[in-house]
Amino acid sequence: MKQSNRVLAYGTAFLAIALSGCATTSGSEKQGGDKEVTGTAGEKPSAGMQTGYAKVPKPVSQEMLNAALGDDRNWLHPNKDYTQTRYSKADQVNTGNVKRLRPVFVFQTAVVDGVMYVTTSYDHVYAVDATTGQELWHYKHPMGPVTTYCCGPNNRGVAVMGNKLFLGTLDAKLVALDNKTGKVVWQTQIADPEKGYSETMAPAAIEGKVLIGTNGGEYGIRGFVKAFDAESGKLLWTFHTIPDQGTEGVWATQDATGHDMHRDIAAEKAQLAKGRKFETTLGGGVWMTPTIDLKSRTVFFTVGNPSPDLYGAERPGDNLYTDSLVAIDLDSGKYKWHYQYIAHDVWDLDAVSPPILVDAKDKSGTVVPAVIHGGKTGYVYVHDRNDGKLIRFSDAMVPQEGRWTLPSPKGERMALGANGGVEWSPMAYSPRLELAYAVNLVQPMTYHVEPSTYPDGKLWLGGAFKTIPNEPQTGNVSAVDIHTGKIAWQVKTEQPMIGGITATAGDLVFTGEGNGFFKAYDAKNGKLLWSFQCGAGVNAPPVTYMVDGKQYVAVAAGGNTQIDFKRGNSVLVFALPE
Amino acid sequence: MSVFDPGRPRRTVASRTRFPGTATLVAAALASLFVCPSGRAEGPDLEPGRKKAQYCAGCHGADGNSQLTDYPILAGQTSRYLYLQLKDYKSGLRKSDMMTPAAEPLSKEDMLELAAYYAAQRPKGPRVAKGEESVPFQPDPDRVEAGKKKSAEVLCTMCHLGEFAGQNEVPRVAGQHPEYVVRQLRDYRSRARTNDAGTMTAVARTLSDEDIDNLAHYLASL
Repeated sequence: MKQSNRVLAYGTAFLAIALSGCATTSGSEKQGGDKEVTGTAGEKPSAGMQTGYAKVPKPVSQEMLNAALGDDRNWLHPNKDYTQTRYSKADQVNTGNVKRLRPVFVFQTAVVDGVMYVTTSYDHVYAVDATTGQELWHYKHPMGPVTTYCCGPNNRGVAVMGNKLFLGTLDAKLVALDNKTGKVVWQTQIADPEKGYSETMAPAAIEGKVLIGTNGGEYGIRGFVKAFDAESGKLLWTFHTIPDQGTEGVWATQDATGHDMHRDIAAEKAQLAKGRKFETTLGGGVWMTPTIDLKSRTVFFTVGNPSPDLYGAERPGDNLYTDSLVAIDLDSGKYKWHYQYIAHDVWDLDAVSPPILVDAKDKSGTVVPAVIHGGKTGYVYVHDRNDGKLIRFSDAMVPQEGRWTLPSPKGERMALGANGGVEWSPMAYSPRLELAYAVNLVQPMTYHVEPSTYPDGKLWLGGAFKTIPNEPQTGNVSAVDIHTGKIAWQVKTEQPMIGGITATAGDLVFTGEGNGFFKAYDAKNGKLLWSFQCGAGVNAPPVTYMVDGKQYVAVAAGGNTQIDFKRGNSVLVFALPE
Repeated sequence: MSVFDPGRPRRTVASRTRFPGTATLVAAALASLFVCPSGRAEGPDLEPGRKKAQYCAGCHGADGNSQLTDYPILAGQTSRYLYLQLKDYKSGLRKSDMMTPAAEPLSKEDMLELAAYYAAQRPKGPRVAKGEESVPFQPDPDRVEAGKKKSAEVLCTMCHLGEFAGQNEVPRVAGQHPEYVVRQLRDYRSRARTNDAGTMTAVARTLSDEDIDNLAHYLASL
């Protein structure tokens, strides 16, 4: 327990914990009832903290945001820094002492030097003391009358810049909050929620701009990344993930790994010749925070599935830029390049996990600037950062039999389930060990198609997918050598893995499971070194930060509705004993 | 004998024995958790909807807790679902001899007010027909278990949310009359009902009659 007056001495360490993929539906505060929650911590804050020392969150400068990767004290970005490595240089907790890791506090609803910013489902934001769990303020978004979203009422965190936090909401708004008070500075409507637009991602904040994508690939939206002015909320530029022209692409017959996708190109071309327009309902959501290369001033993001997910007959062509990694110019939002993993997807095996910037060996062995992505297909893809060309793809992290069997009305089995592979769960990358870490689901499924026309604001899957009786559903944690694509180690888990993973300079990786266990593995070999039972599904990416020379590891145990893991509403924070 | 006959003999499992009061409490708790428009500073004015709902009370009950088990419980349903169904009845996307004429004269505002009113009511639990009347439905524990297993396999809660509380345009089906649930699932399966853009048809196509009955018991148990 911290001394109450010591907390004031720190600079502000920001932690935007995201309850990623976790719809924490069990806590009444999430539902925005009348009850305001007043931060209850596992340990009671001292009286001095509550009365005499109200902590004031500090501003975050652009310099701090730019230098976030080397900053072992703060966790400023949803995925650590603009390159999204989820790697912390903090090494106080390491392979030698992690077995002594103990909970410091449990914040029942929401934590930095420490102010931690925690978001929960239904768009609540909490500012909390990162060492004690004392709540500083709580923002409850007044939800509009219409919301339309897939996959649970999630929120994956805020962006921080200057004196503001930026929150995307289920009713498709972007809200700027004052970091000291949680009061709204401005808000703007991003798109129309009646049409299936919604926000669950943490935005990215950079140089006076806020970048945000949109959900809605299950509703026939037209996806985008937009940039807003951080001071006024005014729209600066929009990049549409579905271009005005040329969505048919190159009529690719093979996926990124050279497997035939069994497309009927002649039938698609005949359909296209009919001239029916579908660009404005072709989907292509951008689910996760974009990655930013400051040097080349490029924004990288993954684009989700075409709409409808499983029925492709009325959306002929490659459906660009769905199921792709896309690069655009940071200043203008103009297209730079794209790489499509699956053309004309009819399995919802799209690209959602956020890209990471790394240095990787090209085919000749020269180290080049690269960008990597973990696919729902269960591969880690390594691209040249300059032109998007695929350098290599990893060994398959999950079983692949039956891949690209076309969906049918009675259902067709593939070992690869529609949740992945790697779902939204962000990967991590350790530059020390030159390994990428991913969590995977192994869920064999049957894929069912049902012809369907645009339903205007209703779920539009064009079919369904189902798990298979008596086929076990499992998961794994995988470490991938980005220079060779080989799996360095893999640990099987008893349940499918959804949430995220974090690597540290203590050569640890931290990740949680649906059964409530939060675990630390040796990053070199996958040996399990520590675990803790959190009481609810740990389906969110962990973070780590330093306050007053002490390293903390925090994770949300909120459960998950996608896989129906036990819901909870706690953030647990761990440290070594004094 | 119908699987929903209240007199059907069944194994009693102490821990699963349900009392009508419990069902109501659970359902009410869920309603407050999931159905109230989340985070809204002030709820919508329910009075206009309450007045307009008097016309519907004969079948759906004054507070949307229908006593006639052919008609669905509307209390605690998501407002978005209710609005879209009324819209679809009016446009003909969803067909019903009863509801098409009932929805025909409604304006968009009428529909939104009705939807807001019913969404704010507390569901009081599923019933089953007994003669001309209805009585609280007692789900069969074995069927509940089988239905639960099937629902996990079919991934229902990916859209219907945990505990089948519903979200947005995807309806709450927890605590619904089992006879109504069975009819809807069969109608989806046969494509008699298609106004959901086909998702439920794709889901229901692989369900047997037995699966559907079991699911109805499970949903009624929530």
